[in-house]
Amino acid sequence: MSDMTEIQEPKEVGNEMRGEIRRISSHSRARRLAVSRMMIALCAIALLVSAVPLVMLLYQLFKQGLPVIDKAFFTTLPSTPSLIAPNATGGVSNAIVGTLALTIYASVMAIPVGILVGIYLAETESKLASSLRVIAQTMAGAPSILMGLFAFSFVVRDLNVGFSAIAGSFALAVLMLPVIVISTEIAVRNVPNTLREAGLALGAKPHVISLRVVLPASASGIVTGTILAVSRAVGETAPVMLVIAGGFTNSWKPFDPVSALPLSIYENAKSEWPSLRAQVWGIALVLVVFIFVLSLSARIWASRKQQVKN
Amino acid sequence: MEQEIMTETHSGTAVTASPNRQAIAMQLKDVAVSFNGRTAVRDCTFDVAKNRVTSLIGPSGSGKTTLLRALNRLHDLTSGAKVSGHILLEGTDVYRGDLTVTELRTRVGMVFQRPNPFPTMSIYDNAVSGLRFNGIKKKALLDEAAETSLRAAALWDSVEGRLKVAASNLSGGEQQRLCIARALAMDPEVLLMDEPTSALDPIATLRIEELMTTLKSRVTIIIVTHNMQQAARISDDCAFLLMGEDRAGELIEFDTTEKIFNNPRDPRTLDYTLGRFG
Repeated sequence: MSDMTEIQEPKEVGNEMRGEIRRISSHSRARRLAVSRMMIALCAIALLVSAVPLVMLLYQLFKQGLPVIDKAFFTTLPSTPSLIAPNATGGVSNAIVGTLALTIYASVMAIPVGILVGIYLAETESKLASSLRVIAQTMAGAPSILMGLFAFSFVVRDLNVGFSAIAGSFALAVLMLPVIVISTEIAVRNVPNTLREAGLALGAKPHVISLRVVLPASASGIVTGTILAVSRAVGETAPVMLVIAGGFTNSWKPFDPVSALPLSIYENAKSEWPSLRAQVWGIALVLVVFIFVLSLSARIWASRKQQVKN
Repeated sequence: MEQEIMTETHSGTAVTASPNRQAIAMQLKDVAVSFNGRTAVRDCTFDVAKNRVTSLIGPSGSGKTTLLRALNRLHDLTSGAKVSGHILLEGTDVYRGDLTVTELRTRVGMVFQRPNPFPTMSIYDNAVSGLRFNGIKKKALLDEAAETSLRAAALWDSVEGRLKVAASNLSGGEQQRLCIARALAMDPEVLLMDEPTSALDPIATLRIEELMTTLKSRVTIIIVTHNMQQAARISDDCAFLLMGEDRAGELIEFDTTEKIFNNPRDPRTLDYTLGRFG
């Protein structure tokens, strides 16, 4: 019996408190509802405001870009307009080929190294790992023209390679590397430790776990980071302008001078010929579509990989 | 009074060796685990009998899981972790003997608290993952191991037609049985289970418990459990651990489950099994 009262006593206190809580909460309900609605409205306005520049940019891009794009735009080399033929701009096939070549070479250089370093940083704890991490973080924030200067002095001059696709892709690779390293490290760290332990408990050696458990489980994160790095590199002008010499041929050869889409935008925008300046929007549109296709296909691949053979 | 209990404990642990006359799978002699000099569990001396289920019980912080993870050297990669004493697998010291850590882990399998199948692998790939990690590639061998282990884990009938489906599509209970199958595929002598049903619903729990009872004919099971009814239902032998005054866990009593629950030597064991604390 005495047990009963002991149990009931705190209950009554609880009821009193509950009454108090209900009274206060009903009192302030209208105000809280108003604040909530206001916040939602603010969020909606912020969304609209941030979407406006993007929509305007895309509108300009298509409005001014589409008219200058035709078949010759993709297939012919550029030519210099003259007073007799002020609209003879030719195409930008050299820049398209150049950008593709630069992207491929830079990816081949940066992606394997970046992913391996990222895994190393995530899976080990050592002085070397922490200094590598600091270097990667510093490099990620470095201005991109610096990579161009570095590629110029190291590849073009010291190694005596000359102005070439390989020098440009080296600069882009150095630019991409820290982004790939950092995003790989984050993706690998996000793999739950229970999976590593499951591998260990099955007698797997650490490198086997890294390759067959951790890497597949972090693949989508790594791919996303890599796309980000590649997309950034594709659109960069500064690192390549000093080292690729804007070649006027459709060359895939690594040691030839090449052009690139962003570089063509820069050069054409400086031109005194209105026809060349008009071409700028077409080149920009091609660049944007290229980056879009690149990231879309990689994302589709990553999501497929995630679902295994469903 | 306290002194009395202490001596009782010590004499208790000393007598514990082999409460039954069965063959011995693993022997623990004065095992202690410490992290950065702080003892987490100590004074663990008992024999794990072959083809029986041995449960480790005790309140939170008593070092059950820490002790279990010492048995397959999972503390190896934790910096600052130190295991002292002797742990023998079929007479070989697992920390000092000729046994490599990889070989030890293929002979002493483990099932974890939360089901942790490899999320990017199919059911089939999960079942044979241990074999593949250890370099076995022969398709016929893998197929056979997959079927045998999935059958042993009572999962074959429900997954036979969808072996290529991602393991993450299975329910929690099925995932845990897949993890058991994955461990069984290595044909281990001992299976460590760290609260294998704590994340499962009662029906899935019951199925795992039934499974353990059938499995002990082929593998010795050591299970950590918070659930005393579970320990009483499924285990043959039982080790009771408790956190000492310096917050380090220690073995209080080891005996047959029947004795631990009905007629323990230490009053603290009785208090715990009656639910007076913990």
